[in-house]
Amino acid sequence: MTELASPTQHPTGWSREFIGEITATEPVMGDSVLVTFTSPPQLAASCRAGQFVELLCRTPQSSDPLLRRPFSVYATNPARQELTILVRPFGRGSAWLVEQPVGAILDVLGPLGNTFTVAPKSKNLLMVAGGVGAAPLLMLANEAVAKGMNVTYLLGAMNAGGLLAPGHLPGEVEYIVATIDGSAGRQGFVTDLVSEYVQWADQVFACGPEPMFRSLRREVLANRFAAKPTVQMSVERTMACGVGACLGCMVETRRGMRTSCVEGPVFEMDELAW
Amino acid sequence: MVTEEQQSGEQWVPDFTVDLAPDNPRELVLRNPVIPASGCFGYGIEYSGIVDVQRLGAFVSKGITPAPRSGNPMPRITETPSGMLNAIGLQNPGIRGFIRKYPPIWESWRVPAIVNISAEAVEDYATMARMLDDVPGVAALEVNISCPNISAGGYCFGWDPVMSSEVTRAVREATTLPVIVKLSPGAVDVIEIAQAVEDAGADAVSLINTLVGMSIDTRARKPVLANNTGGLSGPAVKPVAVRMVYQVAQAVRIPVIGMGGISGLADALEFFMAGASAIQVGTAVFSEPGMLIRLIDDLGEWLRANRIASLSDIVGVANPRFHSTTVRHSEIVAEMVGQ
Ligand SMILES: Cc1cc2nc3c(=O)[nH]c(=O)nc-3n(C[C@H](O)[C@H](O)[C@H](O)COP(=O)(O)OP(=O)(O)OC[C@H]3O[C@@H](n4cnc5c(N)ncnc54)[C@H](O)[C@@H]3O)c2cc1C
Ligand SMILES: Cc1cc2nc3c(=O)[nH]c(=O)nc-3n(C[C@H](O)[C@H](O)[C@H](O)COP(=O)(O)O)c2cc1C
Ligand code: FES
Repeated sequence: MTELASPTQHPTGWSREFIGEITATEPVMGDSVLVTFTSPPQLAASCRAGQFVELLCRTPQSSDPLLRRPFSVYATNPARQELTILVRPFGRGSAWLVEQPVGAILDVLGPLGNTFTVAPKSKNLLMVAGGVGAAPLLMLANEAVAKGMNVTYLLGAMNAGGLLAPGHLPGEVEYIVATIDGSAGRQGFVTDLVSEYVQWADQVFACGPEPMFRSLRREVLANRFAAKPTVQMSVERTMACGVGACLGCMVETRRGMRTSCVEGPVFEMDELAW
Repeated sequence: MVTEEQQSGEQWVPDFTVDLAPDNPRELVLRNPVIPASGCFGYGIEYSGIVDVQRLGAFVSKGITPAPRSGNPMPRITETPSGMLNAIGLQNPGIRGFIRKYPPIWESWRVPAIVNISAEAVEDYATMARMLDDVPGVAALEVNISCPNISAGGYCFGWDPVMSSEVTRAVREATTLPVIVKLSPGAVDVIEIAQAVEDAGADAVSLINTLVGMSIDTRARKPVLANNTGGLSGPAVKPVAVRMVYQVAQAVRIPVIGMGGISGLADALEFFMAGASAIQVGTAVFSEPGMLIRLIDDLGEWLRANRIASLSDIVGVANPRFHSTTVRHSEIVAEMVGQ
């Protein structure tokens, strides 16, 4: 290993801990907010769907909440040198974040983690999102449509207000929704929509809460042949370091414990220990 | 004191170097006193591209055990007020896998690598020390004695002066490497433990390891961590750590490495003034990795601004009985209990 040039420089010339300035905020999906902030150009350009950033959700002078919070990247804009994340106010960290105005300074670590992997032969992609799980799949949908693939994007929410407006998705995407209260789309869970698409899809991609993953797995196992399609899931674990140093964020797989921050957050459903 | 030579230069450079094993011919000389703590910096490679590892004073590896360990079930970590609990369970590849994989990477680094070792029997500590003795790339050992002693019914080595001394002596006899013994804050009397490991041949002591704690998930009505208990670290433990460093620095003559909740210059200065010759940073690396290098720079700036020529000039300044030869154990304890 050669000596690194200066304090936080990556060998390729950029740093993965950086100061971002919020350039735009936009309320979406009810109480959630799209937060756009500046990033070093190479980071915005190299970031791929599935990766996340870890944000300090406090001023550096405070010690609460102590740890960074991970947020999936929703969109990148290499030309404007920006990243966008989708934040749902949930607890202390996210509530602090959604209140930050344009111009506020964020301490960002990332992009971190692995990416969704689209096989070269895949034509039909099914995406299954629950709540803010919409974020990494939106980025994936954009990447896939740009490559001419067919994308069906399923999103579930409590009610119509919690859904992503269709304008946020590329026009080529087939966008189908489900709501618990039936105020938009099919009444019920997003996974209720899955069965009819399983055999159409070459690959399935999912992000959402743990119960959604379990229902999705049931639906896929009941409807697929010869272990096709495969399913990639972006799982959520409490994280501390985000870089594979603390071993606090492990995911149990058939081949042993894996870090969800470096070897994940995206895992093959068939590799996970259920 | 600032020497005339230092004063004449426009930008004189304060003396940062510290020898953490002055009595050991193999010595452990650090260019600066800032060290990421065990378990919080992986094996030194995870933070490449984020922290310039080569600028650190040294770094301590994740705790290594005789056999590979897959660690505890999840959840392993949870946040607490100004702190966190962890029960990683010493996940590591075991001493053999470790020696194959990491020291060869470190061999060409200029930053000293300190290997943290943990075991559940005295002989196992000694075996690991012997195996590491002449491994290129290993600069020193840090002996984690916050481990259960199987032959003592699982009682923690670091809570008992005799057991702590046995481990230290066995490691001392197995290697000529500098040996740092890492003290447990769970000991009833940390002073007694510190003196016991000094007598048994430790080159330095480091403290504190984590304090045993627990959080309960009131919705699930059970502890948050799968292991039930976990080690508390971060700013929440700092006052306890400063007190223990202050006491231990009175009771021993060997260098003391202080840690527990350090997140910046002001915290580090407290530890130096209490009597620490060097400091380790654990939990704060997770939230602010860039702080490690900033801390080195800030410390230099602070020494310059205060016209202090050498870091050693402030070590123990807040501690009248620092490295005192006359202070009695009972006096140190009385100061603690008397209030
Ligand atoms: C890889 C990854 C990507 C993520 N992407 C996003 C994203 O795009 N958008 C987004 O809004 N969030 C995302 N999260 C979640 C986010 O990191 C935070 O966990 C979330 O914002 C809550 O943090 P907080 O500080 O607001 O709540 P806290 O104050 O930490 O939480 C309050 C309470 O809720 C509990 N809790 C925390 N998180 C959850 C949870 N998910 N489910 C159930 N209970 C919980 C805590 O234990 C605590 O008791 C992601 C997480 C991971 C691991
Ligand atoms: C996630 C985590 C893992 C740790 N692993 C080890 C370990 O393997 N060996 C050890 O001696 N100490 C370990 N520690 C303790 C730290 O090295 C340090 O003593 C403690 O966290 C206090 O310092 P801090 O408040 O700066 O974190 C660990 C701490 C944390 C938070
Ligand atoms: S969060 Fe530390 S290893 Fe993943």
